[in-house]
Amino acid sequence: MSALLPEGFTALEAFVEKWSVSGTAARAARRGESTQAEREAFYAAARDLLTPALAQLDSKPLPALDAAEKRLLDMMLSLAHVALAVEGLGDDEPRHATMREHMRITRSPAGI
Amino acid sequence: MNNIAPFAPVSAESLAWLGTGPIPAAPYYDPAWYALEREAVFKRSWLQIGHVCELPEPGSFIRRELEVVDASVLVVRGRDGQIRAFHNVCTHRGTQLVAEAEGKQGNFSCPYHRWSFALDGRLLSAPDFERFGLTKEECTLPGIALEICGGLIFINFAPAQSLAEELGDFAARLEQFPCASATNFSEYVYEIEGNWKLTYDNFQENYHLRFIHPRSGAAAAGEENPFGYPVKYEFQGPHRAQTIWSNPNARPTPVQAASFGRLGALAMADGLVGPTARDYLALFPNFFVIGSPGQPFSHTIWPLGPHRSRGVIRLYWKGEDDSASRRYAREYSMASARDIHAEDRNVIEAGQRGLNSGALRHIHFQTQEALCRHFFNNVSARVEAYKAEQTARPGVPA
Repeated sequence: MSALLPEGFTALEAFVEKWSVSGTAARAARRGESTQAEREAFYAAARDLLTPALAQLDSKPLPALDAAEKRLLDMMLSLAHVALAVEGLGDDEPRHATMREHMRITRSPAGI
Repeated sequence: MNNIAPFAPVSAESLAWLGTGPIPAAPYYDPAWYALEREAVFKRSWLQIGHVCELPEPGSFIRRELEVVDASVLVVRGRDGQIRAFHNVCTHRGTQLVAEAEGKQGNFSCPYHRWSFALDGRLLSAPDFERFGLTKEECTLPGIALEICGGLIFINFAPAQSLAEELGDFAARLEQFPCASATNFSEYVYEIEGNWKLTYDNFQENYHLRFIHPRSGAAAAGEENPFGYPVKYEFQGPHRAQTIWSNPNARPTPVQAASFGRLGALAMADGLVGPTARDYLALFPNFFVIGSPGQPFSHTIWPLGPHRSRGVIRLYWKGEDDSASRRYAREYSMASARDIHAEDRNVIEAGQRGLNSGALRHIHFQTQEALCRHFFNNVSARVEAYKAEQTARPGVPA
């Protein structure tokens, strides 16, 4: 069985199902429907891997990323959303999520 | 050693020319005033409706519905490369030509009786046209004045002067903003139970930042400038600008620091870091755009009625996502801007509900809400001029 994520990032495999999400609006929605425990666990595991992950992924053009690398990129893109909740909003995140629902994402270079 | 000059707010004396008195409340909820604004403001002002990157090739088009003036607008790049705007109406009997929001076509054919128009608006053919007793020249699509500045497309249904003349010095500055070289954008949209001016005002004053954005906007304020007031205001005709204060002691969180650091490095590599990075332009009547290369957003607030509006927020990007880092940085930039904008909607709606009651005859702007005052002064002047113009028309009793 092939690895879900590139070598060096297997510590994140437990988070693939929840946080490897394709599309900006879908990632924003996943953040909004997640629990605080889920966000904090993912943030704690992924935060220090952001820089090495992007460094490794930057070695290839985006269309050349294999499935495992694409999963890793989608997880780092989810981290962009989750970090805003964990680092910035804390326990205000549930209230904030109801306000964000009105800000409908209609376009993103990463697809929506 | 910190060489940055300590913050000093813009003085009340320098803004006194705007006036200091109370502002009438009715224009923020009264349907009769709104009806006047549609005529006096929106049918006569340069309106920002798109970006050149949406029209990359001859035949590329976008359709924009402008509810405030009951107009459907078709913006098209012609075979000659020129971008033109037309009313989206067949000159036969008014049927809307294009239903798609965007696309690419060689010509536009009316679904009703197949009148066919070229990309420059000329009527090409119409079945049994001889029976109309018309020339094709008489049936050209009705055009709308269009100008481009900083890559942004503006239209005007009845221009008194060119956009370039009206923008003055702001035009050259806009050409240095990231939007000027953008080839792509992110976008999010919201609808709000708020008058367009009440909504717009929220985004041109910082007085509310510490109360409405205590966490997401923490970096925008500091001990020496607890409200995050701007360092400078500028005025150019009906337009205005602020120079955003930069907090020298901001302490970003770990992912925030990594993300904005990456955005900064990419902007530097793309040649987007310049003297306009802290400039925030408010172009009359309903458009904002910022020079920040890390969060290069624009914000257009479209009236949908006296108490309803739609906000369209875009972040303009130069080049496609050519690396994981670039894609990540853009994702973070948009998500963080959206987090802050999301926090404003509820309090604007609460303000609208309060005003709708009619309990207040006036509202008040302090010195550091000078841009709101300048905005109202200009809307009011246009409405009053329009009323005077209507009164002076022949056959209309004074």
